Amino acid sequence: MINKKAFEIQFNWIFVLAAGAAILLFFTIVVVKQKGLAETSTKASVLKSIEAIVAGAGVGTDTTNTIQMPDSAIEIGCNRISIGGVSKQYQSMVMFAPDLIKGSKLVTQTLGFSVPYRATNMLYLTGQQARYILIGDNNLAKEINKTLPSILTKEFHKTSSLISNKNNYKVRLIIFGDIDANSIGMGSLDKMPDSDVTAIKVNGDDQKGAIQFYQKDGSAWSLKGGSIYIGRSSLIGAVYADTVESYECNMQNAFSRLNLVTKIYKGRTEVLRDSDLTERPRCIDTYNGALTQLNKIYAASSNFNNINVETISEAAKELSNQNKNAQKYSCTMIY
Amino acid sequence: MDKKSQIQIGETIAVLFVFFILVAIGFIFYVKVIQSNLEQEKDEASQLRSVGIAQRVMFLPELQCSEDNIITDNCIDVLKLESAKGIMKEKELYYYDMFEYSSINITQIYPTEAKWSIYSKETDDFSSKFVTNVPISLFDPAGRKYGFGVLAIETMLK
Repeated sequence: MINKKAFEIQFNWIFVLAAGAAILLFFTIVVVKQKGLAETSTKASVLKSIEAIVAGAGVGTDTTNTIQMPDSAIEIGCNRISIGGVSKQYQSMVMFAPDLIKGSKLVTQTLGFSVPYRATNMLYLTGQQARYILIGDNNLAKEINKTLPSILTKEFHKTSSLISNKNNYKVRLIIFGDIDANSIGMGSLDKMPDSDVTAIKVNGDDQKGAIQFYQKDGSAWSLKGGSIYIGRSSLIGAVYADTVESYECNMQNAFSRLNLVTKIYKGRTEVLRDSDLTERPRCIDTYNGALTQLNKIYAASSNFNNINVETISEAAKELSNQNKNAQKYSCTMIY
Repeated sequence: MDKKSQIQIGETIAVLFVFFILVAIGFIFYVKVIQSNLEQEKDEASQLRSVGIAQRVMFLPELQCSEDNIITDNCIDVLKLESAKGIMKEKELYYYDMFEYSSINITQIYPTEAKWSIYSKETDDFSSKFVTNVPISLFDPAGRKYGFGVLAIETMLK
């Protein structure tokens, strides 16, 4: 009798335990699944916002925006954006940005890439927690300081000085003129990871020039590579892009776009020349001159390199003159 | 086991059964609400995407009217259009990033009727389809004449 009673009580407890465990397990699974879904959904919505920014960049030129979004870490690579496990691959994207953007405030800027006609809009993306330090006293330094949005965490120093650590996750130095990178004291930036402290040294004007990419190496600077820029929008790209590889990938994409647009302008100018054939010899000369330059730009825009940048820069100047001539002789303008 | 205990266990099982049924009903209701919200959001996103594609077409340097780099809004250069239609078909994969599954057609209504198809990448496997029509002016730089037309963008979304 006693044994039977004891068995009943034990069975009751085992039953209650099993039922309780089943209920707990059910709700735990629901909560875990919901948490995972919410996290993925947040990442996807941030990625969607960035996709919208990339898409919208083609629509507005010379714009600056601040975008508030959930605190996240956005990784940006060549033609790729990813947040956590969610990523988006592009065929050809012109977006200059550091490899990692942290924080809840994104800063976007767009500038037209015109050599001399608009080929595309360049999109720049960064976080408000990244710090940009401009050092230089020439006109280009002042111009670049003016072009960078005021909402950006930026400083402008006329001479090289000791840089203090303000707890930013990334620090980018933009050095102009004859200032030697190694003359800039690293100060307390010393403690930051090497990959988070980078610099570029700019030599040139707002038309074209050379850029050297540096990265912190202990308490000194290590040269990581060199490249070129064409136009102010391309130089601004080098300010935002962390590495020479990222900068050149975006410039190659911009050049691909320039190649396509040039092909269209070539076709257009040929039709314009042929339609004016018998009437205005001055217009024909202008269009023929323009076609020579367009052919040069078309051939040189196939690849982003030093020689091609020189060719495009020269041809763009000539084409700009031909466009002025077209206006002067009352011909339809080339672009 | 006596009868009283059997009844007690039976009661507990019945309570648990009812409890799980209520949880299941609640869960089904929650899923239905979420599904309907998702459908609504998907619909809104599709419409936004369609309008976005229309905007991108309007601001393409390959098509836009410009004079000395000054852009004329809502205007498409006919000579650029003639050149672009071949190039855009040839580089379909390149333009897929911008226009996705859509077909873009430009129809001139005045002074003469003409039609250009500049991009077409369609799919049979779509869940929604939107058509956006934008009135535009068409500039012929050779004749220096303006026409009037409609830019029709048909967007398909999976």
